[in-house]
Amino acid sequence: MSTTTQPPQGVAAATPMPDIMAVRKPRKGFLGYLMRHPTIGIGGFLLLLMVAVAIFAPWLWTKDPTALAPVMRTRNPSAAAWFGTDMLGRDVYSRVLYGTRVSLMVGFGVAIAASVIGLFIGLVSGFVRWADSIIMRIMDGLMSIPSILLAIALMALTRGSVGNVILAITIAEIPRVSRLVRGVVLSLREQPYVDAAIASGTRTPVIIWRHILPNTLAPMTVQATYICASAMITEAILSFIGAGTPPIIPSWGNIMAEGRALWQVKPYIVFFPAIFLSVTVLAVNLLGDGLRDSLDPRLAKRV
Amino acid sequence: MFAYIVRRVLATIPVMAIVALFVFSLLYIAPGDPAAVIAGDQATPADVERIRQSLGLDRPFLVRFGEWVFRILQGDLGVSIFTNLPVTRMIAQRIEPTLSLMVVTLVLAVVIAVPMGVVAAWKHGSWIDRLVMAFAVLGFSVPVFVVGYLLAYYFALQLDWFPVQGYTPFSEGFGPWFRNLVLPSIALGGVYIALIARITRATMLEVLQQDYIRTARAKGAGQRTILFLHALKNAAVPIVTVIGIGVALLIGGAVVTESVFAIPGLGRLTVDAILRRDYPVIQGVILLFSFVYVLVNLLIDLSYTLFDPRIRY
Repeated sequence: MSTTTQPPQGVAAATPMPDIMAVRKPRKGFLGYLMRHPTIGIGGFLLLLMVAVAIFAPWLWTKDPTALAPVMRTRNPSAAAWFGTDMLGRDVYSRVLYGTRVSLMVGFGVAIAASVIGLFIGLVSGFVRWADSIIMRIMDGLMSIPSILLAIALMALTRGSVGNVILAITIAEIPRVSRLVRGVVLSLREQPYVDAAIASGTRTPVIIWRHILPNTLAPMTVQATYICASAMITEAILSFIGAGTPPIIPSWGNIMAEGRALWQVKPYIVFFPAIFLSVTVLAVNLLGDGLRDSLDPRLAKRV
Repeated sequence: MFAYIVRRVLATIPVMAIVALFVFSLLYIAPGDPAAVIAGDQATPADVERIRQSLGLDRPFLVRFGEWVFRILQGDLGVSIFTNLPVTRMIAQRIEPTLSLMVVTLVLAVVIAVPMGVVAAWKHGSWIDRLVMAFAVLGFSVPVFVVGYLLAYYFALQLDWFPVQGYTPFSEGFGPWFRNLVLPSIALGGVYIALIARITRATMLEVLQQDYIRTARAKGAGQRTILFLHALKNAAVPIVTVIGIGVALLIGGAVVTESVFAIPGLGRLTVDAILRRDYPVIQGVILLFSFVYVLVNLLIDLSYTLFDPRIRY
């Protein structure tokens, strides 16, 4: 570790008033922030690594992930094919690396789409009294369908494509976001400063923009990371059971689905995408936990 | 109390109605001609027409919906497009493995997760606590099929302690039935255990700071009595609520777990139905699962008085 990233204890030991200095003067700046919330650092680093893998997949010693090579069928991992080859002779390493693209695209896509739509529905529900009960009954209904089943049902009727997968998972995630936003809006409406704004004649759109939206940002960011994590798992599940990304596109769920028939003899075809998926989801979850602790310290002590 | 139960039961009717409306209208929301989509790419126009008629797509939406709901209330979920068998019969044939898997997982998860959360809260800040929390994060992150394949690889293929795949009916004895369910249940239970352990720890932490816990300690009650009698009982309501909400995870996870372990249950039925676009079966299974989910959460709502006599309706 370089001197700039030295832990606070080390700094404290060198000063005359060790303990008090260490407690009262937490390191400022971005690095200090990461040090106080190590999960954000670890999660963020792993996630950035995965983003880099997704972007630079073609230059990371990969081959064409869809190129068939019947002669090279089901080869164990070796120097020629680092993660081995599947039953069609395709290079598992290349497929897994390209699969990062699908997973991240679905994860980020769903997180953004569900947040934006959920935010809108939640705001309407929190501000328009007559619409509230109708919207919330509909959300109750949607929430009583387990979200994976809801996504499966939607996918069963559309032709598989990455766009449809994102759409299906988004619809399944919207009720939770809407409920969260509505809860925040309802509690904010009781705040004295919102009363004051209403009393001074501020128009509703301005109140929403200036007083409500900024306060929903923190819980929404945390929620969005969890949605991203669960969307990546759902995408893999959908592809795994054959109702997700079309088989022609290498996604981690598809690679596992193809490796399923052979997994007892060639377990690596299943395990390599499985490891990538688990690490990516873990990274996003760590990031989410860290953000939650840092954005809402009250919650951090309890959960 | 009775009035509350009636009110609560009545409140589930609009929820189920919305579920039914949604499941039904899926067919109409889908882009393109649903009959053509279900029939698939190799269908002849005659096939498409047959499906259109068997689904009643040639008649108005509301009429169809009314008829459909009426038949469901009589216990008729329609006929499979693929096998031409009644959907209720197909479900009946497949329900035992799924029910077994979910019940075993539920019991296993509660038995493991609640003590985990209690100990973590009791030893707050210790290495045990950190271990439990780390496990919780992992449980949320490692997908059910990954755990499933890992378990099957080491404990079935390498060590040969459990059967690799399949299901043995309960009628052939408890032993074989249970042995087949151990690995799938652990795989399926991962997220569920993480969820319950986390909420147990959080609620216990709060309860353990209450005055009556200090009183119990002051009058000399043992550690175990305090934890499990005084504290856990007061922490029960949120824990039981999460156990109910988590059933959704079990239902979704069962679909995957059954694929990994080749268990011939409702999950396999769903997957097969999707691949064949057998829509009446998909509708039937989703309706059934949603109904079970709503019912479980209704029962949990009603059970609150058992845990907390202060809650009176």
